[in-house]
This record gives sequence, structure tokens and C-alpha cells, in this order.
Amino acid sequence: MIRYILRRLLWVVFLLFAVSFITFVIFYLLPSADPAALRAGRQPNPALVASIRHQLGLDQPWYVQYGRYMKNLIFHFDFGFSYQNGVPVRQLIFSRLPASISLAAGAAFLWLVVGIGVGIIAAVRPRTKLDRASMGLALVGISAPVYWLGLVALYLFSSDIGLIPILPGANSYVPLSEDPFAWFTSLIMPWCVLAVSFAAFYSRLLRGNLTEVLNEDYIRTARAKGLSERRVVFRHGLRSAITPIVTIFGLDLGILLGGAILTETVFNIPGIGRLSYSSIVRSDLPVIQGTVLLGAFFIVFANLFVDIFYAFLDPRVRYE
Amino acid sequence: MSTGVPRLVEPSSGLTAADPLEFGAIAGRTPWQLFWRNFKKDKLALAGLVFIVLLVIAAIAAPLITKLIGASPPNLINTDALDSFGTPTGPSSEHLFGVDPLGRDVLSRTLYGARVSLEVALISTALATFIGVVLGLVAGFFRGWVDSGISRLMDVLLAFPALLLALGLAAACSLGDGCAVSTPLQAAGLATVIVGLLGAALSFARGRREMVGASLVVVGFGLFFLLIGSFFTIKIEPGAGVVIFVITLVSWTYIARIVRGQVLSLREKEFVEASRSLGASDARIVFKEILPNLIVPIIVYATLILPTNILLEAALSFLGAGVQPPNASWGAMIAEATSVFDTAWWYMLVPGLALLFTVLAFNVVGDGLSDALNPRQEGS
Amino acid sequence: MKSIRVCSAALLALMLSLTVVACGSSSSSDTSTKVGAVPAEQSLTGKTGGNLTVVASSDVDYIDPGAAYYQFTFMVTTATQRALYSFGPDDAVDAVPDLATKAADVSSDGKTVTVKIRSDVKFSPPVDRAATSADVKYAIERAFLPTVANGYAGAYFGDIIGVQEFQDGKATEISGIDTPDDTTIVFNLNRGTGGVVAGALALPISAPVPKEYAAKFDAKNPSTYGVNQVATGPYMIEADAKGALTGYEPGKKINLVRNPNWDRATDFRKAYLDTIKIEEGNDDTTVASRQILSGNGQVNGDFGPPPPVLKQIVNSTPDQLALTPSGGLRYVSLNTTLAPFNNLNVRKAVLAVFDREAMRATRGGPLLGPIANHFIPPAMGGFDEAGGLTGTGVDFLKYPKGNLALAKEYMKKGGFPSGMYTGSQQLLMVGTSGGAAQKSSEVAAAQLEKLGFKPKLRLVTQDSMYTKFCNVPKAKVVICPNVGWLKDFADPQTILDPTFNGKNIVDVNNSNWPQLNVASVNSAMDSAEVVVGADARNKAWAAIDRQITAQAPAVPWIWDDTANIRSTNVAGVINKFNSNWDLSFTSLK
Repeated sequence: MIRYILRRLLWVVFLLFAVSFITFVIFYLLPSADPAALRAGRQPNPALVASIRHQLGLDQPWYVQYGRYMKNLIFHFDFGFSYQNGVPVRQLIFSRLPASISLAAGAAFLWLVVGIGVGIIAAVRPRTKLDRASMGLALVGISAPVYWLGLVALYLFSSDIGLIPILPGANSYVPLSEDPFAWFTSLIMPWCVLAVSFAAFYSRLLRGNLTEVLNEDYIRTARAKGLSERRVVFRHGLRSAITPIVTIFGLDLGILLGGAILTETVFNIPGIGRLSYSSIVRSDLPVIQGTVLLGAFFIVFANLFVDIFYAFLDPRVRYE
Repeated sequence: MSTGVPRLVEPSSGLTAADPLEFGAIAGRTPWQLFWRNFKKDKLALAGLVFIVLLVIAAIAAPLITKLIGASPPNLINTDALDSFGTPTGPSSEHLFGVDPLGRDVLSRTLYGARVSLEVALISTALATFIGVVLGLVAGFFRGWVDSGISRLMDVLLAFPALLLALGLAAACSLGDGCAVSTPLQAAGLATVIVGLLGAALSFARGRREMVGASLVVVGFGLFFLLIGSFFTIKIEPGAGVVIFVITLVSWTYIARIVRGQVLSLREKEFVEASRSLGASDARIVFKEILPNLIVPIIVYATLILPTNILLEAALSFLGAGVQPPNASWGAMIAEATSVFDTAWWYMLVPGLALLFTVLAFNVVGDGLSDALNPRQEGS
Repeated sequence: MKSIRVCSAALLALMLSLTVVACGSSSSSDTSTKVGAVPAEQSLTGKTGGNLTVVASSDVDYIDPGAAYYQFTFMVTTATQRALYSFGPDDAVDAVPDLATKAADVSSDGKTVTVKIRSDVKFSPPVDRAATSADVKYAIERAFLPTVANGYAGAYFGDIIGVQEFQDGKATEISGIDTPDDTTIVFNLNRGTGGVVAGALALPISAPVPKEYAAKFDAKNPSTYGVNQVATGPYMIEADAKGALTGYEPGKKINLVRNPNWDRATDFRKAYLDTIKIEEGNDDTTVASRQILSGNGQVNGDFGPPPPVLKQIVNSTPDQLALTPSGGLRYVSLNTTLAPFNNLNVRKAVLAVFDREAMRATRGGPLLGPIANHFIPPAMGGFDEAGGLTGTGVDFLKYPKGNLALAKEYMKKGGFPSGMYTGSQQLLMVGTSGGAAQKSSEVAAAQLEKLGFKPKLRLVTQDSMYTKFCNVPKAKVVICPNVGWLKDFADPQTILDPTFNGKNIVDVNNSNWPQLNVASVNSAMDSAEVVVGADARNKAWAAIDRQITAQAPAVPWIWDDTANIRSTNVAGVINKFNSNWDLSFTSLK
């Protein structure tokens, strides 16, 4: 087991290297704005631009630049400085991480509860009105773009412009440490909006899997043995039906922790998603590198945990 | 937003041309007729299909329809339709769905936007499917280092946050003249050739004859890319081209994974063994035995990622990395609406509903398809 | 001077929300019956105390006052730094002595500028001592250091003797700046541009910086003086005992507190507020504007209310709105070195056909400012002399809605007998994606199509638009629809010289987008640079404005007004020079 984990860890490290390398190459080969010219201001003489370029290390060949970046990253945990305003990237990222985590965690809780709940109900009451209605809603849920849902939610419920002004609107996020109540209320709409498509997807998935499982022979045996329906569903049925959910949940959470760009944009939440988006738009390579690496980190580690979990459950996997 | 991971359905048990006796042999119906009969039973899927057909017709005939109902052309800027503050006016007799912040008619823009959404999603899904099938086949069939290599490649691609990668590439390629992929293609081709040759040499040395064949196939691919990159200057122009490119890039891995899994299990089945013992070559096995059994899951998964790709295109347009103005795109329209939606609600509502119904229709059809093609779930 | 980058800085941040930024609005200097007009003399009395929140969409460009160039950053620097000269709230044209004791003394040949400064202005903790002329000298020197890289130092102070040697590293100070005693500073120039230098001393570059404290920060790359700065104004950015800023979180906030060493008796500023909190990151300007209007103690920072909100304000609470000329203009530049725009008549045709009212509608309509008919904007010297609101009299700029017939006449004169463009090439047009800028570029493209041109519109990020396309002559961009210019200070040279002087065409960061290079215009500008005396300068540059307009290098379409908003309990005072709220005079009711 340990060997398996070590092997996977090694692969994770390699993956992160590969991600940072590819990101660097993409944005190095296809740069948009010229950071040295940006910094140099209006009508500098060419010597000034050249010296700024030299100071930013931009006149070095790309592999030297990449090497320097990786060296700083590994040995000093230094992500470099933003080209835009010279702020350390690490500071930028870590100051915005709590917002993204708040958003992801709350939404995750919500969609798990709703998704699993609805999935179970639909599965144990197949082909009833409840089943059809909830699966119909779920279909709509996976079809609607999240940013549009956000706009509709704001239009309906936002306290400044909504038809039924009951919730704080966009731009109302405050950190948990500052004001827990305001933090909570400002995130209600984003949580709901973000959770919709996931809850819909999970409920469909669970319903499908659970229905299949509940038709298996051993379930019939359990029922025949006289076990209560509840035990049958939860103890036996859910156990097998839930494993794909766990996998997907791990992966989804991993992706979201790296920043839910669309939701953060609509609700103006100062998280990693918005940071990565604005850095891409400004070609701020150090920040792009930092946010992409962070996102990849969460993704590969989520994958890792899920794989370890499976290896734990199923020993055969370890020897692959 | 959808994670894009298709529903985990077990591989089809084989409603294929290879074994027609499984279904309806008594009534003498072909598998396709059976499939259609099953599909028809699902009223919802049928409705979805009708909607899609209508949508496609509307998209193709958009210029005609616009002219017929007398709406303004979609790209006609008309600042007189704005009020004195430059804000759009609402539904009126001239503009059935109102105007956008530049005075352009929302109805015609929505119609034309359908073209973009459909075109981009269909082409990118088709491309992603093709690439995914090819690579999944090669990986699953040949196994060995080829499989490892392709799987690792997929891992690296999947490690990127998808939307970020798409955004980054789209933003980078959307500047000025687009991105030239000839050189990267050449480089990738060269690298593949070298890796393939190395693999062939190593396999030969270790006596694994079957891997030599696989390695040569890899070399073949590498040469192909190298030649394409050398003789053609391929530039991905900003606009629809870029969007198709990035969406294809982030979605081929799903198909590839599924196909690989399918091929892995199929190659162990008896009929494959039987063919082999009869002396069939690799190519014959792939094309005659395995591929036909893949058609069903390929169709199912392609229809499952299609709605995701529609949403992805809209998301990219929403973030400003999609098709170039002045062409209309539903995502871009929603983005423009964010600043005026509290008063100009029609501008947010119409493209959003269009997106919703389109994606819904594809999802419903996809569901119906997979249900009809996998009729194992009794009692569900 | 600086390009319309200021308002566009907000646009840049608005890429996400893609809102329409009203970076300017209606009326010009005269009529006071227009909605939101700021009175000629504002009430400068107020209650002491309280906190003001400045709502901003993005950050200052540089927290270092020696590098700052955005109008929004100037809002902060005018409250924390005392430059040699500053602008009071009501006069956008004539600066008043701030650190200086009286107006600068420019020699008749323009080669020497002498300034006498006060001796009783102290630095904030931990420096704590009085500022001297040596501190002003160091402030200007450090602007030339590559670790600071001030964007306008070269343009206005580059004629000081010894600058070149200092920049090359051959000298450790600029020999042309003399400090005969603690209260006198003399600038020796190798050209007679003293009039311009005197005007440029009204920028934060001339605010004193203590060398013994700052040198160690300036030695780092990039300089870290910004996050360790000291202040001489009534306010300072919150800092710890060692001087390191605690009140600055990039992209998030800037907290201003009172400078304990500021002496009210030495300053024309009133400084009513106790604290000022600048909150950044409010990308959605629609939401942010609403918050200001319905909130308490808030004003806008670097954005204006988008047209829908503007509409709402005008219809319900117009007294919360203040519109002032921005001191700039927007135009669509035509590349005079590339066909077909190397032909003067073709350019005139384009100017004649442009529906400039449609362009203005993309910003919010007539409320946002008058249609521009030449290049010097209102509330600047030389504006009236160049024709004022009506323009210089050329027929191709007479029709704000465009005149297709006249345009076709010019096309015929330009060699297109049918009156329409018959060439086959697509003309590369690079605009900014998102927000009002994108809309303007789309409207501009539509105007060109009226004459048969085929513009290839590429929309890119604003930074790219400048640094990779429009500012780079080699990129061969034919039309740049999203450019404009803002004055640096009240001298008309700052509007016309960087933008239309042939000698200012450079390979990188070129601001002469049309690449206009007409010998008569260039030599007129050379002569006008060394004219001394405001009246004479205004006349000279107004004449140049007429010359430039006659060359039709660009389509001027709006002299925009900046729209500023405040909460109801804010007694806001506008600084007309900077077109935003004056933090040193604003108070709470």
C-alpha cells in the first residue's frame, strides 16, 4: 500500500512539473501584452525599456526563465511577482484562497445533501410523479448555464435590484473573519447557484446507479430475509451505489477549489477564479502560473486521494 | 456547470451488426428499427429531437427567417434605437425581443447565435470524438508502453483546470493573427517519431514482437504530424476556429478514456480470440471485430458531451474569449447583459432561455438514446 | 500626456463585468444649468471628522508616488504628498504653490527654472524632519532610476542637464539640479523648455523624498519605496513605526489616516476627514455605483456610473452626481503612413462620414460630454483659441451625425471616382474587448463600412492593444478606435505634443498613433515648446491644434466629462484638475 502511495506521489510531482512547464510554454510562446513596455510608461527611451526587460529577466532564453522560476518555487516557495503591480504572487493567491474555499465548501455540502437526497428519493419511488418531477428538474439543472442562473437569481432576489429583495446581491462578500453573518448571507445565492448543476447531475447519477443496484439479486435476498426497506436501501443499496459518487465528488471538489471562475465573476467574489481570469486577460504570466499550478495541485491531489481510497477498497488496484 | 464526466454506464452488451440474433429475430426487425422503436417510446426524447431539428433548420435558414419576419439584420448597429442615455429599449413592434446595447435586434441575434453554438459544438464534438476514438483504440488495443504513454498524456491534460486551459489558449490565440500551430505540430510530430522509434527498438530488443508493430503505428502518426506541420501553414484564426480548437483539446480525453476501457474489455472477449486464432491480422481485428462494437458507446458518449460543449462555448463567449464581434453568440450576449440586466431583462432572458432549451433538448435526446441503446434496466 | 488609460484602467478591470463605463459626461465649462454641473466656486467649508469610503474597481497603478501616473492614483497622492505645486479644487488651469512658496521663476530664455520652497513642511514618521530642496532633487532623480521607472519623467524633465549621464550610470546625481540652500532648487536645462518644466512640477514627481530613508528601498529591484513611503500631506497611508505600510493591500484596500506631522497652518488644504478607506476590487461598477448612491459616506474612485445607473440618478437624485470635464478626449486614429489613409482626402472623407453621436451613445449619450471638434479639450488653455465647442471651421468635422455626401466628395478627390473605397485589402483595426470600448470599436467599424472600407476588427485586452499593437508602429495597425489622451497638467502641449509630433514617433510605447509627421507641424511644435508665458503658449498651441485638425489624422469624437457620485451624507468637493473627488476638502455632513 505504501509503495502504491509513493508511486502515485511521484507521478503527482511529475504532473505538476508538466503543468507548470506547459503553462509557461503556452504563455511564453503566445504572449499578449509586453510587461516591460507596460512598466516603462509613456515614451521611455529604448534603453529604459531594455533595462526593465533585463530586470524582469525577460531577455533571457525561455529555459533560463523557466529554470529560475522553478528554482524560486521549489527552494523558496516564491511564486514571483505580478507583472501588473509588482505584488508577490504568493500573497495574492493566499489572500484570495479563503473566498474560493468558502464558496466551494458551502456549495459542495449543499449539492451533496440535495443531490444524494433527491437521488435516493427518486430511486425508491421509481416512475412516480415525485420521481419524474425531480428528474425533470434535474435535467433542467444540468442544462442551465451557471452564470445565467446567477443573473436570474440576482434579478429575482438581490437586495438592491431584485424583484423580491431578500438576499445581499453581487459584490457583497466579506471574509468570515470580518463578519460571519454577512459572510454567510452573501454566499447563500452563490452557493445555491453553483450547487444546482452538480446536485442535478449527482441526483441523476445516484438514481441511475441505485435503481440498478436495487434490482440486483442480493437486494432481493435482503428483502426476502425480512430486512426493513430503509436498511435495504441505506445499508446495502447505497453502499455500492455511492462509490462512483465519491469518485466524482473528489474530482469536482478538486476542480472547484481551484476557483469557480463563472460564479465568482457573476457575484463578484474575490476568489482565485477571478484572479486567474484577470491574470489571463492581462497576460500576467507569474500570476497565471501561480493560479494554474494551484488549480492543478488541487485536481491532482483530489485524484490521488480518490485513487488511494479505491486502492484501499480494492486491493487489486494497487498492483496495476 | 456540468463536470463533463459522462454518466457511468456499463458497456453495451452488443446491440451490433455482429450479432443480430440477440433482438427481435422473430419479428425480423433490424437493430436500427428496434432502436427507433425504443426511442420513440420516450416522449420527452422525441420532443427534444423535434426541437433540435427545428433549431437546426432555424439556424440554417436564419437569414431567410429574419427577412420574412422583417427583423433588422443581426449586426446592424442602430444607436437611434437606444434612449438618450445609450441604454437599450425593450420589446416593441419593430424589435420583438428588444435591442441590445448597440441597438441591434435581439431576435435576429439570437437566431444567428444558434448558428455559432451549433456549429462550434458539433464540429468540436465530432473532432474530439474522432481523436478520442483513435487514441483510445490505439491505447487499448496495443497496450504496453503505447497505452502508458497515451494514458499519461491524458493525465497531464486532465490535470489542468479545463476552463482555465481553454481560456488561456483562447485568449492567447485570439490576438491579432491567431496562433500558428505548424511549429508546435512539427515539434510534436518529431517527438512522437523519436519516441516511437525508441519504443520500436526497445521492444525488438526485449523480444516483444507485438509492441514493435504498435511502435511503428506511433511512428506513423508522428510522421503524419511532422509532414502536415512542415507542408502546411496552419493558423488558428481568432473566433470560431480558436473555440473549436480549445474545446476539442479539453474534451477528447473523455471519449478516449471510455473507448480505451471498452477496447480493453473487448479484446479479451472470445470472438476476438477466435478471430486471432483464425490468423486475422491486427488491423482486421480492430476494424471488423472491435470497432463495430464501439459504435454504440461512441454515439452515446458523443451525444453526452455535446451539450457540455455547447455550454463550454457559451462560457468562453461569456468570458470574452469566444467568437469575435460583431458576430452574435449566446454566451457573449449574456455577458453584455450583465451590465444592463436589471432594466434590460429581455437581453439576458432570451439568449439564456435559448441556451437552456438547446442544451436541455440535447440532454434529453442523449438520455433517450442511451436508454434506447441499453435496454437492460428493467423496472427503471 | 497620459493616454485615456486612466478611465481605461477601470475598463481593463471591467473586462469581467463588461459594463459600460461612463468615463465622462455632458456639459463643458460654461453652462451651470446642466444636470450634475459643478459650481464654478464650490463650498469649501465642512465638518471635521468621520471616515470616507472610496469605492474603486481596481488598484492604483503604482503605490509609489514617484511612479504614479493614473488619475485615480493622483487622488491619493494629492492627499498624501505635497508637490511643489498643486491644484486646488476649483481651478483646473492654474496650480497654486504647495511645497513652493510662490510661482516658479522661469528665465526669459527658458533654460533656468528656480523654485523657492517652504521650510516648515515635515515628513511623516519615522523620518520626522522638515523637507529640504535636496529631497525634491532626490525625488526627481529617483524617477529616472530603472527600479522606479517613472513614465513621464523623460518627457518633461529629460532636458535637465545631466539626466543622460545619471541614467547611463555614469553619475550618481543629476548635475543640472542645483540646491544652493535648503529652500532653493534650480533646474538648469539644455533647451529653453522651462515653461513646460514649471508646469510639470505640479505632478507628484516633485513631492520630496528623503534620500537617506529611501535609497535603500530604491536599490531593490523593483524599488520597494512605495510600500515604505513617507508623506508630507495631511494624510498618510497607514504604516507601522518603521514606516512600512500596513494600510495597503494591493488590489484590496488603501487606508489613509492623518499625518501627525502635518501642520494645518502651512497648507491650503483643509483635511476635514479623519480617515479615508479606499476599497478596491469592485469590478461590477453597476453594483458598486448603487452601493454608493444608497450607502453612507461613500464616493466613487476610478470608475463612473454606467449609463443605466446614470439614467436612474438623473431621474431621481441628480444632486448626487457631479460632472466635470476630464481634461481629455477620445479619438479614432488613422495610420497616416499606410494606404489608404496616407491620402489626406481619404482621411477627410472618414472624418466626414463618422456618426460621432453614435460613438458617444456607446458611452452614455449627450450627458457624457460634447462632441469633440478639435483636439484641445475644454477647461484647458488654448481651447477657446482653437475654436472652442464649434471647432476650427473645417467642413469635414461640421456634422456630428456624419455626412455621407460630403464624405463621398472627399473620396472622389482622394482617387476613388465612385465615392466608395474600391480596394480589396482588409484594414487591420485593433480595439479593446469588453465594456464601452468594445462597443465604440464596433460602431467605428460600422462607420468605415459606410464608405466601402473592409475593416478587420480584432478585439484584444487593453494592455495588448497598447503594448503589442497600437503603440507599436511595426505592427502596422491601420485604425485604432479606442485611443484618446488626457492632459498631464494644464498646458496644451501635454495634449498635442506626445500625440502628434513627428519626432515623438518611437518603436515601443508610441503615443503618436496616427504617426503624423508633417514638417510644418513639427517645427511649429518645436518653436512652441520653448515659448514662455501662459497666454503666449496657449495661442501658439491653439494654432497648432488648428494645423493638426486640418491634417485629419484622427476622428475626435468626445471631450468626455467624468461622472462622479457620492452618498447623500457626503459633502463632496470635486478637484476639477483631477476630475475626481478632492480628499483634502471633502467632508461628511
